Order: sequence, then C-alpha cells, then structure tokens
Amino acid sequence: MRGRKWRRDAHSKHRPQRLQLTSMMDILTVLLLFLLKSFVVDAEVVTPAPGVELPTSSADSNPESSLVIAVSGESILFANEPIASVADVLAQDDLLIRALDQKLDTAYKQMEELAQRRGKEAPEGKILIQGDRAIEFQLLQRVMYTCNFSGFDQVALAVVSEG
Amino acid sequence: MIRKRQRSLGEHVEGDLEILPLMNLFVVLIPMLLISAVFVHLTVIRMNLPSDDASATPPQRERLELSVSITDEAWVVKGRRLPDQTIERLTETAPEELRTVLAAVKQGHPEEEDVVIVSEPTTRYDDIIEVMDASRESGLPNISLSGS
Repeated sequence: MRGRKWRRDAHSKHRPQRLQLTSMMDILTVLLLFLLKSFVVDAEVVTPAPGVELPTSSADSNPESSLVIAVSGESILFANEPIASVADVLAQDDLLIRALDQKLDTAYKQMEELAQRRGKEAPEGKILIQGDRAIEFQLLQRVMYTCNFSGFDQVALAVVSEG
Repeated sequence: MIRKRQRSLGEHVEGDLEILPLMNLFVVLIPMLLISAVFVHLTVIRMNLPSDDASATPPQRERLELSVSITDEAWVVKGRRLPDQTIERLTETAPEELRTVLAAVKQGHPEEEDVVIVSEPTTRYDDIIEVMDASRESGLPNISLSGS
C-alpha cells in the first residue's frame, strides 16, 4: 500500500507541493484569541517607565488615567521626559522640586481650563508615581510634597501585582 | 450511480481552502497584539495627601494616632493608650508578626482605619510598600507617610 503511494507521488512530481498549514493555523488561532482577550481585559494600560523597577505589592486597585511621574535611580521623569536629576534634588535642603513644580503647575492650569470649559469646578488632582523599588524615602517625600504643592492631592503609587 | 459521480468529481477537483489571505491577516495581527499585550499586571496604591479643606472638618472622636516607624532593624508600632511594640524586621517571619500586631490593634479598635508610616530619610521605597501591604491587609487602609 505504502509502496504504491510512493510510486504515485513520484509520478506526480510536476504537481506543486502544498504546505501543511492546518496545524500552524490552529496555533495561530489560539494565540490570536489569547492576545485579543488580554487586550480586552486590561482597559487602562500603564506601561512602566524604562529603568524603573517597580516594587511588588498585594494591592489590587486598578490604575486610572492620570499624569505619570517616574522616579528612577538617576532622574525624575514627567510625561517620559527627564526633568531633574536625583543627585541635584537630594542635594537641596528644600522639599520642593522646582522643575517638577513648574511642569505640574502648567499641567494643572491646563486641566483647570478644560474643566471650566466643560462646566466643572475644580479638576481632580490625580497623579501616578512610578518609583523604583530602591529609591529612598527622602526622594519620595520631595516628589509627593511637590505634587501636593501643585494641587495634585490624589496620589497613587504604581506597583506590580503579586498574583 | 450517484456514488460513482461523486468519486469522479473528487478525483479532478483538489479541495483545498484558500487560507493564504487569512495567514496574511494573522501575520500582521499577531505581532501587533504581541507588542501591545500586557504581561506585567500593574496595580496602584491610592493615597490621600492632606489638602487645604481637610483641616476644616475636626475629628469626631479621639483618634488612636497609630503609627509604624521603620528603623534599620525594626518596626515600632505606637499609638495613644497602646504599649509600644517593637518587631525585629530582618527575620523571615517579621511581616507575619507585623500583620498579627496590626490585626490585634484593629480588633481592639474596629473603627480605626488610619495609620501613619514614619520613615527615616534613607528608608527604601520597597520597605515602605511592605509595611503598607501589611497595614492594608490588617484592615487599616488609610495610610499616610511621614518623616521622622
């Protein structure tokens, strides 16, 4: 039986060979469904800033859309732009980080203007701090003080979920 | 008769699906979704910083003023009318012990929800988050930070 098939294949050499794509299609379909599902579940996507290793925690509240301040070991980033170096910030005695304060003030004024146009009173001062796990409290304290000073009083700390 | 006709049809027509367009679609869609896929699930810890109008409402009852101080080697749980409790934090069972202590405080004062975490300037962020986790899991979700 097998020999016969062989001979037939040898005779039909001129026919184009077809790829066996069915199993690959199976894989791709499963992968596609899996990716689509993970795409749908996470409505609000927050990507951690490069160079920032977030601490792990058992917290389970989901992030909301807000401005992001990232604090890495070397610099403080606002909206993915480095605005101050950690060494400079720690060298000053004042708790207020001037460069960050200016950026936050501008952002707050824009939000205020938007809120006025929409007929709302005060904008919600929401901000997300992505801090590297190794930063010291004095740095975090300065960043949070500056946020509060600029009117952002609803601070959320970004962490990686343990589960 | 019918069977014979079917067989003769099957011999001539190759019954292959045209799956190449579908493959093209997959090849484009899968890298796109892979790039946007989230493999690390981020969550947040919400904190309320003191705002200007918060001072307008005076506290209704006498507060416990519970605080957890983080030092190099220990956690110190303090509170009004509470004995100070020191927990060595470098041992493996330390987080469990802190949870037990905080849960005991919560049991004695079920209405209490506030806790202040007092850190030293050089305390690591990681260690602060650890204490936050312990207090939230013990039923004290209103966490404030303070420097020593």
